[in-house]
Amino acid sequence: MPQLIQDKSVFTLLEVSQSIKKTLASRYGSSFWIKAEMNKLNHYSHTGHCYPDLVEKLDGRVVAQMRSTLWKREYQIINEKFLARLKEPLKDGIKILFLASITFDPIYGLSLHIQDIDPAYTLGDLESEKQATIAKLKSDGYFYLNKQLQIPAIPKRIAIISVETSKGYADFLEVIEKNQWHYKIFHFLFPAILQGENAISSIMYQLDKIRKVVHHFDLVAIIRGGGGDVGLSCYNSFELTKAIANFPLPVITGIGHATNETVTELISNFNAITPTKLAEFLLQKFHDFAQPVNSAQLRLIQLSRLILEESRHDLQFEARTFRNATGKTISLNRLEIKNIERTLEKQSYAHLQSQVIHLTNLSQLLKKDSMHIVQNESSALKYLVQNIPKASSAFFVQRKRNLVELENSLRILSPEAILKRGYSILWKNGKLVKSIDDVEQGDVITSMTVDGTIVSKVESKETKNNE
Amino acid sequence: MNKKENYTAAFEELQQIVKDIEEGEISVDDLSGKVRRASELIKICKAKLTSTEEDVNAILKDLESTDS
Repeated sequence: MPQLIQDKSVFTLLEVSQSIKKTLASRYGSSFWIKAEMNKLNHYSHTGHCYPDLVEKLDGRVVAQMRSTLWKREYQIINEKFLARLKEPLKDGIKILFLASITFDPIYGLSLHIQDIDPAYTLGDLESEKQATIAKLKSDGYFYLNKQLQIPAIPKRIAIISVETSKGYADFLEVIEKNQWHYKIFHFLFPAILQGENAISSIMYQLDKIRKVVHHFDLVAIIRGGGGDVGLSCYNSFELTKAIANFPLPVITGIGHATNETVTELISNFNAITPTKLAEFLLQKFHDFAQPVNSAQLRLIQLSRLILEESRHDLQFEARTFRNATGKTISLNRLEIKNIERTLEKQSYAHLQSQVIHLTNLSQLLKKDSMHIVQNESSALKYLVQNIPKASSAFFVQRKRNLVELENSLRILSPEAILKRGYSILWKNGKLVKSIDDVEQGDVITSMTVDGTIVSKVESKETKNNE
Repeated sequence: MNKKENYTAAFEELQQIVKDIEEGEISVDDLSGKVRRASELIKICKAKLTSTEEDVNAILKDLESTDS
C-alpha cells in the first residue's frame, strides 16, 4: 500500500517490483517461441546453469538485449539434442529459436526463462552462415586461391597443424614414417586447438607462425581426427577460411569426420576424408614421381641393350660383307699382278735385246770414228814434225845476226875505244872525278890514257860557264 | 626455388635422354655418356625421394628471430 507523504502517494521499491511482477505474470502468463542471437551462453560449470545473453541486431547494431536463464536440467537435454542434430554443442554466437516465459525478480530484474531450444532453426542458421561464408569467399575472390597453388612434384616438407596427442596426427605420422618405399617426408608440428570456437584463432595464430618460416615448407596440413564430429562449425568461419585460402603454401586437410564438408575443406588445396588418407595422398605424389623415374630407368636399359644388339648385328653383317668383298678383290688383284709380272718380264727382255743391239751399233760406230780421228791427228803431227827443223834453223840464223850487231855497238861504246879516241879518265884517291867540284887546288890526281897513267898536281881550276 | 625444383629439372633431362635414345638421336659412341648421365639423374631423383635437407633447428631459429 502506498504511503501518503506530503500529499504524494509513495511506493517502496519492493512494492513496485512486486507490482511489475504481478502485472507481467498476468499479462505474460504463458510461454512464447522467440528468436534471437545468443551472444554469450554464460555456462557456469560448477552449478551447471546458464545465463545466456540474448540480443537482436539490425545492420550490426544491437537493437534489443535481454538476459535469460537456462537451468541445468534443460541445458543438458537441449545440449544433447544439439549435439545429435548439429554436431555442435550449444555455444556463443548462434541464432536460436527458443520457448521461454518472461520472469521478473525483484533483485535480478527482467529475464527470459528458456525452457526449450529448437535445433532445426539453429541448424538452418548455421547452414546459411556456411553458405554466406562460401558466397563471401567467392565474391571477394578467395575461394579458389589455395586450390590454384601447385603442390610440388615431391611434397617433402610439411608444416602440420594438429594436436600432438590426437589419433589423427598419430595415424598420419604412422603412414608417412613407416612407408615401405623409404620415402622421406620432413614434418614439423604447429600445435593448435582443432575444434570449437577457439580453434579459429588458434589455427590462424599457427598459420601466421608458419608464414614467418614459409621458406622451410612445401605445404601445410591441417590434421584432426579421433575427436568425434562435434564442434566443426569453426571450419566454416569466414576469417579462418579466408586465412587458409589466402595462405602462400598449399593447405591440405584431413579433418576426419562423417558430416558434410566444411568450408575449410572446400577451399583447401586438397582434402582427404581422414588423416590416413591424407598421408596416402602424399605418398602417392612420391609414387607419381618415382614411377616415371623407374620406368625411364627400365626404358633406358631396354633401349641401350637394343641399340647395342643392333649395332653388334650391323657390325657382324658389315664384317661378313667386308670379308667377302676383300677376298674377291684380293684374288682379282693377285691375278692382275701375275699378268703384269708376265708382261713386265716379256717387255723388259725385249727392251734389253733392243738395247744390246743399239749398244753394239754404237760401239762399232765409235770404233770407226775413233780410228778416223787418230789417223787425222797422226798425219797432222807428222806434218808438224817435218816442219820443226826448218823453222828452227831460220830462227837461229836471225838471232846470230842480231847478236853480231849488238857486239859491234858495244865495241864502239867501250872505254877502251873511247880512250883510243883521245879521251882520258881522271881519278882522285881511287874515285872517279866527274865534276870540277870533286877536286881542290893542290890535290893529286891520276889520269888514265889508253896506254898508261899520269900523276899530276892541280895548279888551278876554272868553272866552265854554261850559258 | 631453383634448388628446390632441382629434381624436376633432373627428371626432365632424364626424359629427354630417353626420348633422344628412343628416336634414334644417339649414336653408339654417345650412348655410354648418355647412360652415365641418365644414371646420375636417376640417382638424384631417387635421393630426393628418400632424403631430406630440412633442419628443425633452423626452423626454430627462424621462428625465434621473427618473434623478437
